[in-house]
Amino acid sequence: MPGPLEGIRVADFTWVWAGPTCTMQLAHMGAEVIRMESMRRVCTLRMLPPWPDGQPGVNRSGYFNQYNQGKRSIQLDISKPEGAEMAKQIVAMSDVAVENFASNVIDRLGLGYEELCKVKPDLIMISMSGYGRGGPESGYVSYGPAQVPLSGMSQLTGYSGWQPMHVGMSYGDPNAGLHAAFAVLSALFYRARTGKGQYIDMSQQESTMAVLGEGFMEYGMNGAQPPRSGNRVAHMAPHGVFMCAGEDRWLSIACATDDEWRALCGVMERPDLAGDARFRTLADRKANEDDLETEIMSWTLTQEPFEASERLQAAGVAASPPFMNRELAEDPHLSERGFFVEKEHPEVGVRQHAGIPWRMSETPCEVWRAAPIMGQDNDYVFGELLGLSSGQIEDLKARQVVY
Amino acid sequence: MPESALDRLTIIEYNRTGGAAYATKLMADLGAEVIKVEPLTGDPDRCLGPFPGGEPHPEKSGTFLYLNCNKQSVMLDITNHTGRQVLDSLLRDADVFIHDIPPAEAEALGLSDKQVRAGKDRLVTTFISPFGESGPHRDWKAYDLTTLSAGGWTWLNGWPGHPEMPPLRPFGRQSAYQAGVNAALATMGALLARLRTGRGQHVEVSAQECITAILEMTFAFWPYMNTPTARWGQRPIHPIDFFQCKDGGWIFVLCVEEHQWQRLVELMETPEWTQWEVAANRFVRASNWDALRPFMEEWVSQWTTDDLYKAAQAKRIPFAPASTLSQLLDSEHLKARGFFVEIAYPQAGTIKQPGAPSKMSETPWEIRTPAPTLGQHNETILGERLGLSGDEIKSLNGARVG
Repeated sequence: MPGPLEGIRVADFTWVWAGPTCTMQLAHMGAEVIRMESMRRVCTLRMLPPWPDGQPGVNRSGYFNQYNQGKRSIQLDISKPEGAEMAKQIVAMSDVAVENFASNVIDRLGLGYEELCKVKPDLIMISMSGYGRGGPESGYVSYGPAQVPLSGMSQLTGYSGWQPMHVGMSYGDPNAGLHAAFAVLSALFYRARTGKGQYIDMSQQESTMAVLGEGFMEYGMNGAQPPRSGNRVAHMAPHGVFMCAGEDRWLSIACATDDEWRALCGVMERPDLAGDARFRTLADRKANEDDLETEIMSWTLTQEPFEASERLQAAGVAASPPFMNRELAEDPHLSERGFFVEKEHPEVGVRQHAGIPWRMSETPCEVWRAAPIMGQDNDYVFGELLGLSSGQIEDLKARQVVY
Repeated sequence: MPESALDRLTIIEYNRTGGAAYATKLMADLGAEVIKVEPLTGDPDRCLGPFPGGEPHPEKSGTFLYLNCNKQSVMLDITNHTGRQVLDSLLRDADVFIHDIPPAEAEALGLSDKQVRAGKDRLVTTFISPFGESGPHRDWKAYDLTTLSAGGWTWLNGWPGHPEMPPLRPFGRQSAYQAGVNAALATMGALLARLRTGRGQHVEVSAQECITAILEMTFAFWPYMNTPTARWGQRPIHPIDFFQCKDGGWIFVLCVEEHQWQRLVELMETPEWTQWEVAANRFVRASNWDALRPFMEEWVSQWTTDDLYKAAQAKRIPFAPASTLSQLLDSEHLKARGFFVEIAYPQAGTIKQPGAPSKMSETPWEIRTPAPTLGQHNETILGERLGLSGDEIKSLNGARVG
């Protein structure tokens, strides 16, 4: 069975992380995604590590290869009128166009929604800029790492009493990418029933705020910025990441109910704590949370985290070590589920990549090919789809339109 | 002619973790009809808060209210035979069933995909679980902190140079949000496939995998370079750091591209930096960041947050303030875009909350009704639609009989 988006083609103008995350979801579902790239403006991710053996190269980045799995790549300088014209021809054969340049850049290239509709009237197009279209900051530049502070997430995240923190990754990017893919599929669903395409304006700042709902609700109800609280939350205790035996080893433990707390005491072999009045109910444990955490850490400091989490899980306690990348790569659970993707790549060989976090029973989703090297599909797209002769393609290369 | 993107789709939702509720929120806000099936005690998110004045109340939980606008609520005890049969009647007329009950418990309740989909060829079932429906950790218990940790996120978040501080969760139930948006996305894929095949299917979503799939470049550092994850991710380029301004606000100083760095040096009026070997390029700056940082700190401390933000952006350098919620609610930019929506909740009052994650030109995103009170739609859904009598509805609701 083909994937759910079999027969859908996507003209992919995206770069860096947000846009490529969107178009990768579409590729996962079987759409044909054509990345338009050029040596004039190489995708930032192609220039970032990790690279095998630490040797840079535009086709060697693990960062790029992770988020561009299953896509095609052509070299096309869309800043040249002839290149933009060819991009239009590709859009005319596509269902969806996706771009994440700063606001209005795509219009300056002559590839705005109105122009593209002239060649593809029922086009679905999404622009994913940092600040969205319209509004006094719409021309501002933005990269994923800055979306975390800009959206309010940094002020909400951090150790109690410490300064605002990042969240460890450019969360605004993949979060926008996934919400964008959802919007595109919703628009495809509408098009299937009405024949009408549409334009989608996504602000990464706004899509990040959409996943901070509980913070805004607290402000709206009580008029105060929720304080940074480390790993603690109001409705569970213990709820923390505890230091274990060894160097930089940790274990997350979360108990929502008194039963779970007593089960934790059982695994810790501390029946005294189960009966301790300081910790009997959630309210007690919240009131004495410093003591609670000290008692738990006196146990975790003697424990190997993976072994301890197995025993806690067997007793019905929600626990897991924080996995680092190696532990994920070697996790028997993820491997047995077939989560990782290992496809041959022309320059980096077979490498492990994170795969698709959903499974469909009737229209399976899969990564059919590793991320493309720059221009891997020039011949297919320019030759087969656009019908250019090899002589014409060579001429375009000589003039650096195909570049 | 459909008036909204997801017009005339009917979704049945049973929420435990916020993942199912966020998936159906995304769809309800684009016009789908969502019927929440709640246990007699209510969706557990009704107990989560935040609450006005910190006073718990099942109709005033901020988390619940945010996730459940535009939905209808019916109460059903799905652990008993009659309740389960009524659920089945709802599912017979539905397009999608989304729940986030862990696999073993779902099976025991008769809510695995095979049990649910028998005889319902067109139904799409989308089930979210912490670790997926297979594999040795299938039945591991998890809350959000557990899946964030097992997915690899908490390890990234922490303080470089402070190994005594624990790996840290980000604010909010982010593994629930991620499982939710992935579930909504995959459900739409299944619905598009159904247009072609006429058949529904089962979709399973693993919250752990949803996190592992978005770890920026940090996962790849192992298979590509055998480099283990560092706290605060891998930061191969700099500057990318927080500094405090003279008004006490925080600014995020960021240069990704070299041309942005060149313009920052102009803004700082420190042309000599372009000659410094320790600042020669973004990778070298990262290696020498400890030495460069104090200079930047001194410079930033002479600015107010807003002035520096605007000055940097005027030179197209991607700085951003660490916004507080009140700054966002007052932002002229977000006002001009009409982002926030004001919703009048019958018991919790009027609250300004985040609006659409994207704006679609032809199909509206809108909040039509506030989150339902528990069982608000028992009469219309169970009575008018399924034809149950008032007494039958009462007996379904157990304690309420008589």
